[in-house]
Amino acid sequence: MTMLSPTPGRAAARPVAPAGPPSGPRRRKQQGGTVLAVPALVWYLVFMVGPMIAIFVIAALRWPGMLQPVSFAGFDNFRTVWDDPVFWDSVRNTVVQMVVALPIMIVCAYMLGYYVAQKPPGHRVIRYLLFIPGLISTPAKAMVFYAALSPDGLVNGALKAVGLGSVTDAWLASPSTALLAIIVLDVWSGIGFTAVLFAARLGSVPEEVGEAAQLDGAGHWRTMWGIHFPIIRDYVGVVTMLQFLWTLFGSAQQVLLLTQGGPGTSSTTLSFLVYQKAFIAADLGYSQAVGVVLFLVGLVGLLSIRRVFRQNY
Amino acid sequence: MKHGKSWLPAHILVWAYALLLVIPLYYLVASSFKTNDQIFAHPFSPPTSLSFGNFSEAFSSADLGMAVVNSGLVTVLSLALTLVLALPAAFALARSTGRAAKVVEGIFSLGFLIPTFAALFPTFLLAAATGLFHTRAFMVLFLPATAMPLSVVILVQFMRTIPKEMEEAARMDGASTFTVLRHVYTPMCLPGIATILLMNFLTFWNEYLYSLVIIGPDPSQRTVQVALPTLKSLTGTDYGVLTAGTVLTLVPVWVVYTVLQKRMQQALVSGAVKM
Repeated sequence: MTMLSPTPGRAAARPVAPAGPPSGPRRRKQQGGTVLAVPALVWYLVFMVGPMIAIFVIAALRWPGMLQPVSFAGFDNFRTVWDDPVFWDSVRNTVVQMVVALPIMIVCAYMLGYYVAQKPPGHRVIRYLLFIPGLISTPAKAMVFYAALSPDGLVNGALKAVGLGSVTDAWLASPSTALLAIIVLDVWSGIGFTAVLFAARLGSVPEEVGEAAQLDGAGHWRTMWGIHFPIIRDYVGVVTMLQFLWTLFGSAQQVLLLTQGGPGTSSTTLSFLVYQKAFIAADLGYSQAVGVVLFLVGLVGLLSIRRVFRQNY
Repeated sequence: MKHGKSWLPAHILVWAYALLLVIPLYYLVASSFKTNDQIFAHPFSPPTSLSFGNFSEAFSSADLGMAVVNSGLVTVLSLALTLVLALPAAFALARSTGRAAKVVEGIFSLGFLIPTFAALFPTFLLAAATGLFHTRAFMVLFLPATAMPLSVVILVQFMRTIPKEMEEAARMDGASTFTVLRHVYTPMCLPGIATILLMNFLTFWNEYLYSLVIIGPDPSQRTVQVALPTLKSLTGTDYGVLTAGTVLTLVPVWVVYTVLQKRMQQALVSGAVKM
């Protein structure tokens, strides 16, 4: 099975590519052609593409509440957003989140994936365990963290048990650690699952490649970074893009469940700001303006990650 | 020896991380049998008694029974609709060689790039406009749309491996297009169908934010993922009840995972391309 091959990047390029091999003399017309794809296509356009486009429309509207009159605002919403310190706080938090979480996640997951792919003793057990975060829903993960990070929870209990009682904190309620808790949750659940993705890809690299390198005297470290990494470089890019998008857009849920963006704005991320302005503050134009910003950040991020990981041999 | 002494640090680090994955789960299960006081005093000790008080408490105070039924309903109906839409679409795309099919396939592939979350508010408006706001029905219509791109692309790949002769033979016997789909293609790409069913099962069952906003807090409609966090405030945070509720929402996924481990892993890995 090669489902891993359709990378977002390549997929995007596909419609532009010339339509396949020249199809020779036109073959007997197949009955019931492309029409069968129409219902699925309509479904997808109505429920996904439509709302996506609507973001840009709503961002240009002055819409101060669900039942309030709507008027055209042009770029006013963007100006408001630009001048709002809360927006800049959330930008800062999102940047921190990305800069801390992404490199840790990708580097650790790659090494872990490499480890699993070498089939060391017990790799089946490890593989089974690594899937755990992939199975658990966000609310369930958040509840585990909520219980573990509570003032009387697992983490403080462990700290006390090893004599570090002075380090204990109300992790989720303290401005200096709230964002950190969100990041830790992301990294904790992200590494395992990403590692499995890497392991799956590394598993399809011919074993002779590694063996040849070892014969030439390369250690495992060299083989891992010098041989295998370049081979699956573009796949690392794809996984990085996915994690980037998951973190960028998905953090709204973790923040909503764990800290509600607080205390203050210390853990408000961009995607939570979109949610908060739409469904709590009912400032709809503002919310969708941030939505547009978020979308653009996502796009720019994708393109830059793609550039960094471009196959270069 | 391939995994010699130099691997020792790696072994230690990997198993340490594995432990980090297991400890919260252990804590979760152990706490679900304890009272608040026991959890605070001895977070690591195993429960002293196996009473299911917390579970029944979670069940009644957050109406988890109803929530499980709702989640099951939404998940199963969405899965069915996904198949009904994706199978014919993949069938059409896999067989046709025309330009239109190429374009349609390209549009589906682009779907990987659309972050579903971003469109939360417009989707909410759509639900309101169709009069399906605060109903499970909208989720049943909406979730398959989010699953469409990947499901179609995966099924197309499976269907392309089916030799043309199979269809030609069926045609000789006078089979209609529908019969070909029903009796030739569907049985032959069962592994693909299983993959998308498992992958989407997990996404649909675990869906949170959209269910929260669109189905809302009404206990007779809401799903488990929405009901679960309410335990936090409902019970004044009784951690025993909270963890018991969390364990309950994990059971269906856990059962499926343990029974279909290999297949589920494959499905998850292939599903990762999705948002």
